[in-house]
Amino acid sequence: MDETESDARAPAPPPAPEPVGRREFLANALRLGGGVLVFLSGAPALGEDHVAEGYDWTQHRYAYLIDTEKCIGCGSCVRACKAENGVPDGFFRTWVERYVVSPEASHVDSPKGGLDGFPPIQTPFTPTKSFFVPKMCNHCKETPCVQVCPVGASYRTQDGLVLVDAERCIGCGYCVQACPYGSRFLSPTTHTAEKCTWCYHRVTKGLKPACVEVCPTATRQFGDMRREDDPVRLAIAHGRVSVLQPHLLTEPQCFYLGLDKEVR
Amino acid sequence: MESARHVFRVLFLLLVVVVIFSVGRTFLVPKSYGAYGPYRFDNVAEQAAVRPPQHGGSASCGACHAERLKAVTAGAHRKVGCEVCHAPLARHVRDGARSAPMPVDRSFTLCARCHRRIEGRPAAFPQIVLAQHQGGVEGTACIDCHEPHSPKL
Repeated sequence: MDETESDARAPAPPPAPEPVGRREFLANALRLGGGVLVFLSGAPALGEDHVAEGYDWTQHRYAYLIDTEKCIGCGSCVRACKAENGVPDGFFRTWVERYVVSPEASHVDSPKGGLDGFPPIQTPFTPTKSFFVPKMCNHCKETPCVQVCPVGASYRTQDGLVLVDAERCIGCGYCVQACPYGSRFLSPTTHTAEKCTWCYHRVTKGLKPACVEVCPTATRQFGDMRREDDPVRLAIAHGRVSVLQPHLLTEPQCFYLGLDKEVR
Repeated sequence: MESARHVFRVLFLLLVVVVIFSVGRTFLVPKSYGAYGPYRFDNVAEQAAVRPPQHGGSASCGACHAERLKAVTAGAHRKVGCEVCHAPLARHVRDGARSAPMPVDRSFTLCARCHRRIEGRPAAFPQIVLAQHQGGVEGTACIDCHEPHSPKL
């Protein structure tokens, strides 16, 4: 009994330095290395915080309002967009669709995107209502096109636009497929993704997008949600607006008035 | 001593990897990438300056054509911008001076884009059915009778 106790109390031999196992060492080295890499990649050189002369992009948050009940289908917006942005023939950054509807059947057409207006139409059914719906990029807040871009060419700006960096775009077309509104296309000249920019080269100078500028019926309106008295902000804040395909939860920033259930 | 050499080797290797990575990264990643998110921030400024605005708006037309603009804004076409029927300002004016004649479309098709009765237009909008309009024939210019800048209905 005594013997065992004295054994236990016997001074332990000086503890040898705990050898670091190879496995443990490698794991720690990897952790450290990974941390260094994260640190390096997360420390980018801050660029010049400047978008355009006299323009602060944190002071704006744009939104677009389309009153479908006013549209006469003249296609001025489509022509203006083409002229303003040099959109290649056969492709459209904005287009107008015509819906001819009866309770039993419906017909949708958009000849050349509405570029030359619309011709008279005969339908095999007797239409009970018909209307035009201008469409374009919805500049969604939770946009799938930006999420799928593998090279960071698609992005959302702080003033609320979705843009494409043609220099980085590799033309893979994922975003073209991801967009539920069909707003993007691959340009046949640059072979990069192209889309509506809400005429960023105009709005940063205080101008309206070209389609809004030429719309003869004020169907199309462009506004700034950061301005309390903005007519578009007031219409969205107080009116009953809807968006295209709300079930996709993309939070479009193009708002519609008088949208019909037939419109997708 | 042996273990210290192992440690040194691994640390050295790690250092080499980190150096290669950071040097390679500075060459491959654009300067402004990541400043505000996973994109090249310089592109925002590039997009803002991608081209000069082509459309100037009716007010810019009024700088030279004040009388005409006054007539338009007093008439039924007051909400119709000049560039809707003509062409973008940039085709006519460069650096504040007239560079080319403004196209003038006198055709029936120009008026028909808005005013031909077709399925889809709001009923209240003024539209004509050509066959019932002055015995009209497609191709006859509307502006023979109607003044386009301030039309009387």
